[in-house]
Amino acid sequence: MDLIIKDKIKQVKKGDQAAYEDVVLFFQDKIFQHCYRMLGNKHEAEDIAQEAFIRAYVNIHSYDENRKFSTWLYRIATNLTIDRIRKRKPDYYLDAEVKGTDGLDMYSQLATNERLPEEEVQGMELQNYIQNEMLNLPPKYRSIIMLRYLEEFSLQEISDILDIPLGTVKTRIHRGREALRKKLRHV
Amino acid sequence: MDCNKEVVRLMHHHLDGDLSKEDETKLRMHLEGCKNCQKHFHELKRSITLLKSVDQVQVPANFTQQVMDKLPTEKKHMKYVR
Repeated sequence: MDLIIKDKIKQVKKGDQAAYEDVVLFFQDKIFQHCYRMLGNKHEAEDIAQEAFIRAYVNIHSYDENRKFSTWLYRIATNLTIDRIRKRKPDYYLDAEVKGTDGLDMYSQLATNERLPEEEVQGMELQNYIQNEMLNLPPKYRSIIMLRYLEEFSLQEISDILDIPLGTVKTRIHRGREALRKKLRHV
Repeated sequence: MDCNKEVVRLMHHHLDGDLSKEDETKLRMHLEGCKNCQKHFHELKRSITLLKSVDQVQVPANFTQQVMDKLPTEKKHMKYVR
């Protein structure tokens, strides 16, 4: 499959727009899924996923063919979702990083039980509950946890996608898992 | 071993698959004798399992077509590139 994609990208670079259709078809599920998990809203996810494919197309000449196309595409999509999250005004002060916590925001400072009493959890579908808790992780942990466990990228690939050092990926995945453990342990 | 930090650090290295044989043994030995750490380790693994159980959502119909419709029109000079 990688070879077919590589070939299609070459055609796109030569100006064959129609060849891009197969690229979008091949990645649409994955990229939409990723955006949805980052944003928690289908309309926003559709919007951002479309934008990601359009940006990839417009900037196709800056894509280095020696690297994996999927990595490059995921990077565009992830950056767009994080930008979108930042622009959400009402939550703005809760999203602000708390000094000295390396990206933990005010949400992470709230006790889980305050937001969702256990009786409420039982009434809710487990799936929704997990999705919700995931959305309460700070975006920079959320993206890594999802890329690792739902999209099954290696830590090295995640480092390439997010353009951050492998050591930072490891630190963040550790913290992300701990945060998730605290949110899900009473399920 | 310090339960709070050292063992938890080993747990995470284990989950990332980069724990040396020596440390793997160290972790296993500690877990055998420490209920609290056992619980912590179990909770970590369980939260990953729960996470993975989340359903996929369906990509909207016509997604690809909509992207194609929104692409900027091909630049004329591109057509001469061979």
